[in-house]
Amino acid sequence: MNSIGAEELRGMLMALAARVAEERAALNRLDAALGDGDHGSSISAAFALAAADCAALGEASLQSLWLRTAKMLLNGMGGASGALFGSFFLSGARQLQGVERLEKCQMAALLRAGLEGVMARGKAKVGDKTMVDALAPAVAAFAAADDYSQAWRQAALAARAGAASTRSLVPRQGRAKYLGERAIGIQDPGATTIALLFEAADTWWRNLTDEKT
Amino acid sequence: MTARQHKLINQPAAIVDEMLAGFCAAYSDIVRLDGRLVQRAQPKAAGKVGLVIGNGSGHEPAMLGWVGEGLFDVNIAGEIFTAPGPDSIVEGIRAADRGAGVLLCVSHHAGDRLNAEIALELCAAEGINNVDMVLLYDDISSAPPGREAERRGTAGLFFVWKMLGAYCEGQVSLSQAKALAEKARDNTRSLAMSLSSCASPVTGEVMFEIAADEMEIGMGLHGEVGMGRQKSLPADATIDLMLPPILQDLPFTAGDEVLVLLNNSGSLTLMELYILYRRVAQKLAAADIRVYKAWVGAYATTQEMAGFALSLCRVDAQLKALWDAPANGAAMKQL
Repeated sequence: MNSIGAEELRGMLMALAARVAEERAALNRLDAALGDGDHGSSISAAFALAAADCAALGEASLQSLWLRTAKMLLNGMGGASGALFGSFFLSGARQLQGVERLEKCQMAALLRAGLEGVMARGKAKVGDKTMVDALAPAVAAFAAADDYSQAWRQAALAARAGAASTRSLVPRQGRAKYLGERAIGIQDPGATTIALLFEAADTWWRNLTDEKT
Repeated sequence: MTARQHKLINQPAAIVDEMLAGFCAAYSDIVRLDGRLVQRAQPKAAGKVGLVIGNGSGHEPAMLGWVGEGLFDVNIAGEIFTAPGPDSIVEGIRAADRGAGVLLCVSHHAGDRLNAEIALELCAAEGINNVDMVLLYDDISSAPPGREAERRGTAGLFFVWKMLGAYCEGQVSLSQAKALAEKARDNTRSLAMSLSSCASPVTGEVMFEIAADEMEIGMGLHGEVGMGRQKSLPADATIDLMLPPILQDLPFTAGDEVLVLLNNSGSLTLMELYILYRRVAQKLAAADIRVYKAWVGAYATTQEMAGFALSLCRVDAQLKALWDAPANGAAMKQL
C-alpha cells in the first residue's frame, strides 16, 4: 500500500485514541511530577471524543476527519495540551483540501505543517523539554524515509528517542518551567504522548498492511 | 503533611457541571448558568465594555464568585485546572458583548494564554471585532524582576478584577479598560506558600509530595512548586520571610498605600490566617506602608491545600475609588 485514504485515516485515528487510553494512568503519573497529574486523563478523553466524532461522521473526507480531530482536541481538552495538540491537526488541515489519498510525501508535508503549527503556537524549540522534542525528530525521520513502512517505523523510533531525551532537559516552556532544575530526570508527558502516537501509527500501519512488526 | 484524598463528590466526570449547577442555584439572584458560561442574572446595560474571563475549575470560588454587578459579565468554566477551549471562550465573548467591545482577561498560564489567542483569531475570522485580551500576572516567584510578563496569575489578581469591573460599569472604551487592567496589574505583587499538597479531583492522586515538616514557598495555583522547599517555620517567621521579597519587587516604599489580601489556598483555618495577618499588619506599619483595606479569606483555592498567598496592591486615588465602588458577586460584595 502506498497511499492512505479517508477510511484508512479514520482507522488510524481510532488506533491513536485506543493507545492513549491504554496509557492514561502512566501519563497521569508522569504529569504529576511536572504538572497537575491529569495529562493522561485529559488527552485520552479528548482523543476518545475525536474518535467517536470521526466514527459518527459517516462518509468523510481526509480533510473533514483531520479538522474534526483538531476541533475535538482543541475544545474537548482545553488547557495548553488542547491548544497544542489541536494546533498540530489544525495547521495541516488546509493542505487536505480536495485530497482523496495521501502519498507518503504528502503525509510528510502534513506532519511538517503540524509541527510548524505547534511551534508557532507554543513558541517552544527543540531542547525546551516539550512535545516538540519528540515531534521534530519524528517529522524529520518520517520525511527522510523512502516509503510509508519505513517512515512510520523511523518516526516512531525517533519520537521515542526524542521523548527519552527530555529527561535530562530543564523545562523552558509551560507549567513545568517553574520547576527549573528540579524537573531534570523526569520525561516530559507531552513528548511521551507524541512517542505513543507515532508508535500507535506504526503498529496500525503494520496491522493494516499485514506486515510483520 | 498528607492531602485529604477522599472527596465528597458523585463522579469525577460530573464534577464541573454539578459544581456549576449548585453554585448558580445558590446564587440565582446574581448569576445564571448557560452550559459552561456563568453570566450575570441581569446583564449590564448596552453600550458598556464587556468583561470575560475563562479559567480552570477547582479553584472555587475564584472567578465564579466575581460575576455580577460591578465585576465580570461572564466567566467561562474549564475542566479541573484546565483552561477552557477556544470555542467556549468565543461563546463567552459573544455573551458578554454589550456593543462597546469585550475585554478577555487572562490569568497568565500557558493554557489560558494559548486558548485565548486562538479564540481571538476565531473572533477575527468570524468578524467579531472590538475584542482584545489582557494578560494578567502577579506571582513574583515565577520569574525575576524585568521578566514580569512571564509570571503566573495567582490570587492577587483579585484586586484587578474588582477595579476593572468597577471601571467597566462606566462609559469607558475598550482600550481604556485594558490600560486600567494593566495599571492595577502593574501595582500588584503576590507570593504564596504551602504546607501540604492536595489531591486532584480528577485522578484522586496527590499532586505533589511534601514532607510533614517542610513548606514550599512560591506555590502556583495548581500546586506548581516554586522557589523551593525548606523546614516549616512559625507564622511570624513565615511572614518575615515572604513579605520582604514582595515589598522589594515593586518596590513598595514608605508612604505607599496598599490593599492587602491574605488568600486561603484551601485548608488553613481562619485562626491561622488572622495570626498571619497580624504579623503582616505589624511589618507594614513598621515600614510606614499604610493599609487602605485588607481581606482575609478563601477567594482562589487549590482544593484542600494548606497554604496561603499574600498579595499587595499599591493604590492611588483612582484605584481606591474603583475599589470602593459597588460590587455584587457571590464571593465579593462591596456596599
